[in-house]
Amino acid sequence: MPLKRALGCVLATAAICCVAAPALAQKSGGTLRIYHRDNLPSGSIHEEATISTVGPFMSVFNNLVLYDQQKKLNSPDNIVPELAESWAWDAGKTKLTFKLRQGVKWHDGKPFTAKDVQCTWNKLTGKDNDDFRKNPRAIWWHNLKEVTVNGDYEVTFNLNRPQASFLSLFASGYTPVYPCHVSTKDMRTNPIGTGPFKFVEFKRGESVTFARNPDYWKKGEPYLDGIEWKVIENRSTRILAFVAGEFDMTFNADVTVPLLKDVTSQAPKAICELVPTYVSTNLIINPKAAPFNDLKIRKAMALALDRKAYVDILSGGKDDISGVMLPPPEGLWGMPPEELQKLPGYAADVEKSRAEARKIMESLGYSEAKPLKIKVSTRNIAIYRDPAVILIDQLKKIYVDGELEVIDTSIWHAKVTRGEYSVGLNLTGVGVDDPDVNLYENYSCNSERNLTQYCNKDVDALIDKQSQETDTAKRKQLVWEIERKLAEDLARPIISYGRAATCWHPHVKGFVLHANGIYNNWRFEDVWLDK
Amino acid sequence: MGTYLIRRLLLMVVTLFGMSVLIFVMLRLVPGNITDIIFDSAGFVNPAAKKKIERELGLDQPIVTQYVSWISGLARGDLGYAYVSEKPAIEEILPRIPVTAKLAVLALVFSVLFGVPLGVMSAVRQNTALDYALRVVSLSGLSLPSFWLGLLILMAFVHWFGWIPIYKSNTGSFWHDLALLSIPAAAVGFRSSALVMRLTRSSMLEVMRQDYIRTARAKGASDPAVNYDHALRNAVLPVVTIIGIEAAFLIGGLIVTETVFNIPGVARFLVEAIRWRDYPIVQNLVMFIAIVVVVTNFIVDMLYVVLDPRIKYEE
Amino acid sequence: MAVIDHEVELRRAGANVRGWGGALLHFVRRYPLGAIGALIMLLFIATAIFANQITSYDPTSTNPRVSLAPPGEQHTLGADFMGRDVFSRIVYGARISLAVAIGATTLGCLIGVTIGLLSGFFGGWVDLIAQRLIDIMQALPLLVMALIMAASLGPSLTNTIIAIAIPLVPNVARVIRSNTLALREMPFVEAARAIGMSEARIAVQHVLPNTLAPLIVLGTAQFGSAILVESALAFLGLGVPEPHPSWGRMLSESAAEYVRTAPWLVIFPGIAISLVVFGTNLLGDAIRDILDPRQRI
Repeated sequence: MPLKRALGCVLATAAICCVAAPALAQKSGGTLRIYHRDNLPSGSIHEEATISTVGPFMSVFNNLVLYDQQKKLNSPDNIVPELAESWAWDAGKTKLTFKLRQGVKWHDGKPFTAKDVQCTWNKLTGKDNDDFRKNPRAIWWHNLKEVTVNGDYEVTFNLNRPQASFLSLFASGYTPVYPCHVSTKDMRTNPIGTGPFKFVEFKRGESVTFARNPDYWKKGEPYLDGIEWKVIENRSTRILAFVAGEFDMTFNADVTVPLLKDVTSQAPKAICELVPTYVSTNLIINPKAAPFNDLKIRKAMALALDRKAYVDILSGGKDDISGVMLPPPEGLWGMPPEELQKLPGYAADVEKSRAEARKIMESLGYSEAKPLKIKVSTRNIAIYRDPAVILIDQLKKIYVDGELEVIDTSIWHAKVTRGEYSVGLNLTGVGVDDPDVNLYENYSCNSERNLTQYCNKDVDALIDKQSQETDTAKRKQLVWEIERKLAEDLARPIISYGRAATCWHPHVKGFVLHANGIYNNWRFEDVWLDK
Repeated sequence: MGTYLIRRLLLMVVTLFGMSVLIFVMLRLVPGNITDIIFDSAGFVNPAAKKKIERELGLDQPIVTQYVSWISGLARGDLGYAYVSEKPAIEEILPRIPVTAKLAVLALVFSVLFGVPLGVMSAVRQNTALDYALRVVSLSGLSLPSFWLGLLILMAFVHWFGWIPIYKSNTGSFWHDLALLSIPAAAVGFRSSALVMRLTRSSMLEVMRQDYIRTARAKGASDPAVNYDHALRNAVLPVVTIIGIEAAFLIGGLIVTETVFNIPGVARFLVEAIRWRDYPIVQNLVMFIAIVVVVTNFIVDMLYVVLDPRIKYEE
Repeated sequence: MAVIDHEVELRRAGANVRGWGGALLHFVRRYPLGAIGALIMLLFIATAIFANQITSYDPTSTNPRVSLAPPGEQHTLGADFMGRDVFSRIVYGARISLAVAIGATTLGCLIGVTIGLLSGFFGGWVDLIAQRLIDIMQALPLLVMALIMAASLGPSLTNTIIAIAIPLVPNVARVIRSNTLALREMPFVEAARAIGMSEARIAVQHVLPNTLAPLIVLGTAQFGSAILVESALAFLGLGVPEPHPSWGRMLSESAAEYVRTAPWLVIFPGIAISLVVFGTNLLGDAIRDILDPRQRI
């Protein structure tokens, strides 16, 4: 009898499963309506470094491999095949060979072959005549010697030296495969991909639309008939529109912590997930501009920072105080708080640090009556200005009298690149939660995106060293060593990594928001509408 | 009259020419150009690649050459290519005009519909409580920032109706379109109606002090008939003026309103294009606005002649 | 000809008024709305001058503990996103608004008067050029002109003032020119010429003072529009930049995001702007009535 009952239970459970399963079956059809926060620069993912482009246009393309769209974490274990069916390293760990899927067609009907892969990476490494107008992630591929094809469906990436997380670079939304036969100009205005959705129309400042690709190589997918992104630049207007049900989904990470309260109270059924945006708020101090060529002053400024106050103001305490890498639990490589607190300027007792900072400043001849007058430069956008205002307020405590200099947003990068600033407040986004991406892009001597032009040969050597280390635990220790050096040199003091929410109404199914990277989960192939 | 017309037309051309030089020079004073913007979304600047793009777009040419090629293009009806979308500028500008035009017309209708009757009422009941109340209301219309009013309206709609009156393209229904546009039109038109009302009132008062009204009254015409018929007919002239001027001025008000209500019209597009340093768009759009303003002024002046036989333009 | 009741007209003009107190009383009785406007303006100017006596909070100091605090005992009008006291920002914001309004109006009038005077008094090719210049400036709506100017000059307090002042020029120049044209033929100007006064001196000593009345009327009207244009520019991200507590800036961007969660951030600065502009308009109407009865509204 007990056995029978147990069996009955199992059967009942199974029955529930079976009954429940059809209810969960994906429905086809419908257009997903998402709002877009600003005017997207172009449709060419490889030429841009902004979620404004990746968000909508990722659905047009496929990668060789991709972070699993259904798993929250971007980690090497969650990389799944896309246009590559399989991949393998050679014994020396310098040759990565992908076997490609056959029978895949570009949206214009031409077949996809290994040539397309070769072309894409030739453009990324500047070996193609029709190269990109701008190539923001060139540094990702600095270790790539050449790409060779072996027939139509096999391609090999030859490296100069082993690189532990090379495959991760292929798994980002930033790394689609482009067709060889379409010019880079057309890719900006009328992109052709192999992905689940075809690009339909881009009405500047108004909308971008995509329609289902009926010949998608994943049979049965995508479920949606199309996706419509509508541009609403005014944040209050667009949040109101989401609450009023005009949209199924908000733009990625558009709902800040203070706004989240409003959305959840006005649209209580909406699903909102607050995740790290992997965009850091950081301080850039020009080491070439007097008096900041004196490390002591830079150190005093670092000691004056009250990171807790920043995150309390900017996000009601939700942002993560951090070093260079995103801290755990979402971040795979960042320092835990107890390690972080040992870095200069991260101590819990801010008053003590500030007293120390004031001593430094006094030793250099500054005082309450004779403060150091500086200009704090930042972009003329609220997300830059707000933390800059807090910075100025905090620097007052160590005899630094800061004046905010807002720089027109168009010339911000140009000015910083030319070194025309002394202290600035900056935001930096990281594409993949991997030290190779973050460290090479922002701190290596040769990177174009190394805004402060920080260059330390020892650090460069260490970055190369960690890149080759295949043992994750050992690599982490190396990364932390780099973190400590960067903190001592005050290369670009990171204040915090931000968090923001993305919201969608409950009828949007099959969507998983990644927790440690905002650029990688916009394929939309398995998203469907339960309406 | 003939020579006057020719003179006016010539002056219009001179003004527009001056405008073209002014806007061209001012745009080039704006810090940063399109290449900076193009690089902004990549988060870095590569000087060599930047130079290359500048060459592609002809930005490395001397400013005079650039100006001449723009103007000669204009003469041929070629507005050049938009930098950002890499499409012909005309394809970007033309589809946005009807929306703004509809909005402007609706706002004008709104301002006349409210402004004129309230202005007459206020004048007829001069110095009564009603007059004071209407004057205060009209003054407040001139005092509210229109984007603030727009925000409050949006907030109110979402709060009370759970619905947001922002623009949707291709709703398919003319009446639906009209309903959607009438809310932002009211937000813009509030200000214009205040202007129209003030002007109607003052010109009504002026006319009512004139002799023939007194005569009409003396002849026994009943009060309201005199007021509404005689006076209004004569007060209409200055009202036409203000409506003409306001039609052009509306474009200013539309910039912020189109932003708040997310209407994809030319006014908002101008701000966007300035932000993107998209010279071909800004130059041509500014010229378009200038032409609208200049031509409107001209039409208003001509209407004067038609409406008021006492005015004659002669050399 | 309308029949003029001289008794009434004299009383309207304040012929029976004696002394300052009497003048004030007469003004309040005759122009109650104007008096309210004057009161608002006085309050506004006093707020700007005595900002540091009125509030004890530093308008730029941040405080994480009171981020988005609603109006209450500690913060009368609440606190903004960064925990800055809204009341003190509005109080100090009066300074910025006043600076922008006075700066832009003065600058606009100065340039306008110069152009108008030159063009009206000297005529000929000076007039021709000046007129074309004004035509060009008037070919764009005020906000569009200000927008392009502000973008060209970049964000700062001074540049905002200039960007708003320039579009104000044409109106002033027009009015001054037409007044000058009329004055040029007046007997007292003829007389001055007869005694050998230089043209420039006549322009400054005799013509200029006589254009003061219409200038004041125009000035008050432009004062209000300067404040409104500044707020619109700020809303579009081009006005007086942070950290200046400008009312327009307070209303824009980050503040407008909290229109629902923290409506006080949007409502109070909006009221401040509207109230001051309303006051200017009330006062402006009264001044126009007094100085320029032909245009009575």
